[in-house]
Amino acid sequence: MKYKIIRLLDVAGMNCFEPVVRLCYGEEPRQQVRKIGLFIVAPVVVFALFIGAWAAIAPFIKTKAGSLPSPVDVAGSLVDVYEFHWREYAKKADFARTGDDRDTTLALVTQQLADATERKAVVEAELAELTATLDAETAATLKKYEEAIENQTLVYHASQFEREQELHKLGDKLEVSQDEPREQYVASVREHQTLSARESTHLKELRSDLAAIRKSTTPQFAALLREKNDLDQETQFLDKRASLLSDGNRRSNVASAALTLKNADAALAAAAPGQRYDATLDYLGAEERVLSSAGAIYAKPPTFFDQVFTSIECVFVGFLFATAIAIPIGVLCGLNKVIMASLSPLISLFKPVSPIVWLPIVFIVVGGFIERPDEAWVKPAFLSSAITVALCSLWPTLVNTALGVASIDKDHLNVARVLRLSMWDRLTKIVIPSALPLIFTGLRISLGVGWMVLIAAELLSSSPGLGKFVWDMFNNGSSDTFSQMLLTVFVVGVVGLLLDRIMIVFQRLVSFDGGATAL
Amino acid sequence: MSTGGEQRYVELFRLSKAYPNPYGDRVTVVDGFNLIMKRGEVVSLIGHSGCGKSTVLTMVAGLNSISEGSVVLSGKEVTSAGPDRAVVFQSPCLLPWMTAIQNVRLGVDRVFAHGTRQQRKEICEYYLDAVGLADSMDKYPRELSGGMQQRVGIARAIALKPKMLLLDEPFGRLDSLTRMELQDVILKILDREKITTMLVTHDVDEAIYMADRICMMTTGPMARVGQILDMPFERPRRREEVLEDPLYYDLRGCLVSFLEEQDRRKHRPAPVPKIAESDAAKSADASDQADALAHAEA
Repeated sequence: MKYKIIRLLDVAGMNCFEPVVRLCYGEEPRQQVRKIGLFIVAPVVVFALFIGAWAAIAPFIKTKAGSLPSPVDVAGSLVDVYEFHWREYAKKADFARTGDDRDTTLALVTQQLADATERKAVVEAELAELTATLDAETAATLKKYEEAIENQTLVYHASQFEREQELHKLGDKLEVSQDEPREQYVASVREHQTLSARESTHLKELRSDLAAIRKSTTPQFAALLREKNDLDQETQFLDKRASLLSDGNRRSNVASAALTLKNADAALAAAAPGQRYDATLDYLGAEERVLSSAGAIYAKPPTFFDQVFTSIECVFVGFLFATAIAIPIGVLCGLNKVIMASLSPLISLFKPVSPIVWLPIVFIVVGGFIERPDEAWVKPAFLSSAITVALCSLWPTLVNTALGVASIDKDHLNVARVLRLSMWDRLTKIVIPSALPLIFTGLRISLGVGWMVLIAAELLSSSPGLGKFVWDMFNNGSSDTFSQMLLTVFVVGVVGLLLDRIMIVFQRLVSFDGGATAL
Repeated sequence: MSTGGEQRYVELFRLSKAYPNPYGDRVTVVDGFNLIMKRGEVVSLIGHSGCGKSTVLTMVAGLNSISEGSVVLSGKEVTSAGPDRAVVFQSPCLLPWMTAIQNVRLGVDRVFAHGTRQQRKEICEYYLDAVGLADSMDKYPRELSGGMQQRVGIARAIALKPKMLLLDEPFGRLDSLTRMELQDVILKILDREKITTMLVTHDVDEAIYMADRICMMTTGPMARVGQILDMPFERPRRREEVLEDPLYYDLRGCLVSFLEEQDRRKHRPAPVPKIAESDAAKSADASDQADALAHAEA
């Protein structure tokens, strides 16, 4: 059992947990503890240090969108993102609910809504109370500050005016024809200008300080405000759910459309000779509406997790394209020196090209093939992202496959020669199996490259996915969205890591050094 | 097949191998190698390492191009590698992603393509059983010891039912106990199947024990047949009988002195100029050929 677990860990590439297993079975505890310290504790400590450093530095990096989000903010944004995701899916489900299910859910939601409204009222009351007590104090401070700024402004204005008058007088008396006094005059005017500029910056600073004081409220106030905000959102959400469960529900939409249809039918039956054509038009319109409302689904905006899923889907489509192109070409290159020699300039030429260059080109070409993007079964933006991923990620697989095929053991090829194997047998029984480990190494690198390229491609092409999510958040520009962008960094990292792990497992399974038999 | 065909089953006629060296000159490794083998005969090539015995063998196998001369097997000239000449190399060169039986099966499927699946499977099992691997058929090469891997290599070669078996120092990497075991395994199979065999080795005792004739090669470059010795032992052979035979030490002494002589010649400075050599080679060829024929007819 012990060795089975250890082998499983080894195949999964999680050797760092091996000492834990061994320790559980009481094997050389000292050594295992040392290994745990080395492979588990040390990385965890470093990660903690990183988080600590980040938390310490973040408040000092000020931007237009507030200061750099701290780790806590980013963790909070994960909760926000998850909540949004959950709420959108609840709404979608509500829209399609029918019968008893719908009734019970509606009752539950109404109950929750009542609760939330109650809590909201309490919070609002507290908030009002707090504002009232705070107002007296803050108003006094603020007033003092405002007056000080006002005075300072007056002083500066006065002194500026005075200096200007002085300079005017001096200018009148100036003997313009002589060089030295003229230069002196220019210098003093310049000095006046810099002084005025400095004074106006000072005033600006004072005003921004005032704004900060206005904003800065006690922590209690801020917490209440946030709670109120949350409750606002929740009541809004529950309200929407209630409406989706009652009037906005698909079934009731269909019912009302059906009613209209019935009325239109009745109207047509009773129509006077002159109105029969129009009445028929009405009837047809109503019929159309019944059909469309019956087939309608809730128009849900893509949530963060939807975007992650779309991105993974896209990277796999691109990766499949890349594999389908790279492995056959790689095998041909490895088998035949002529093909290798003739293709290598092309490979060397295209290998270093950045995804940023491919994307617009691919976008135009794909656009040329798909004339009506709305009706196409695959979105052009998705397809061009996938093709860009393929173009950038096929090279490692190609090169590794060629290398793997070219470096087959001579003895194995001799076996093929003695047996006079057909081309197909030679490929499937000798060449491909022996090149598989290297092919998978290439595939692993390709998938990593593809994932990196994809995020950039999505960001540029506005194809749905994590890249687009970052771009949308960037255009939103609030402090919430800033922390969601940082969250994306971590999610991209984690997904990339998982993809790599999956490939490691595959690589071990196909290599003939005994990995496959470990299971 | 006529008796002539039986007597001259394999003919190596003035076989030569030359490689161009980086400066444009051709380095002749084997020069004018003549040998005639009877059907079912086991001939051992013996000589110092690097003397070109493996080159001769790979040329016969068709894995190495022939610079001059020809190899004729059962009336047909050898041009490329093929399953009628099975090879066992020093390293087992099994395909590591296939089990023992799959490795044997690869060749059997090719040669007995007309047989049913069951028949082909039975052939593989029969030969793996013959080399003593009945219990390890489904193991991967990495799970087998070096000796067992070589047994699979032997089974794979013999299962092809080849006209000729080429053994290139097949026991070179094995310890002496395993080596003796495998020598007996091969001899047993050869006694039963009567396959014409060429055995390349540098082990004198192995050559005496296994071969019907021993062909001693001069040290290269320009290696050729130096001397051919007939082994007077009956088949099937038993190791003790061979070792106790009074002729054994004479034969052994003869072989060892030939090899030592070659060794001394190798260290002699200043090789004979080329033109003179080629004349000498011509006359030597004639005598070699006569010698080889005489032995074949004997």
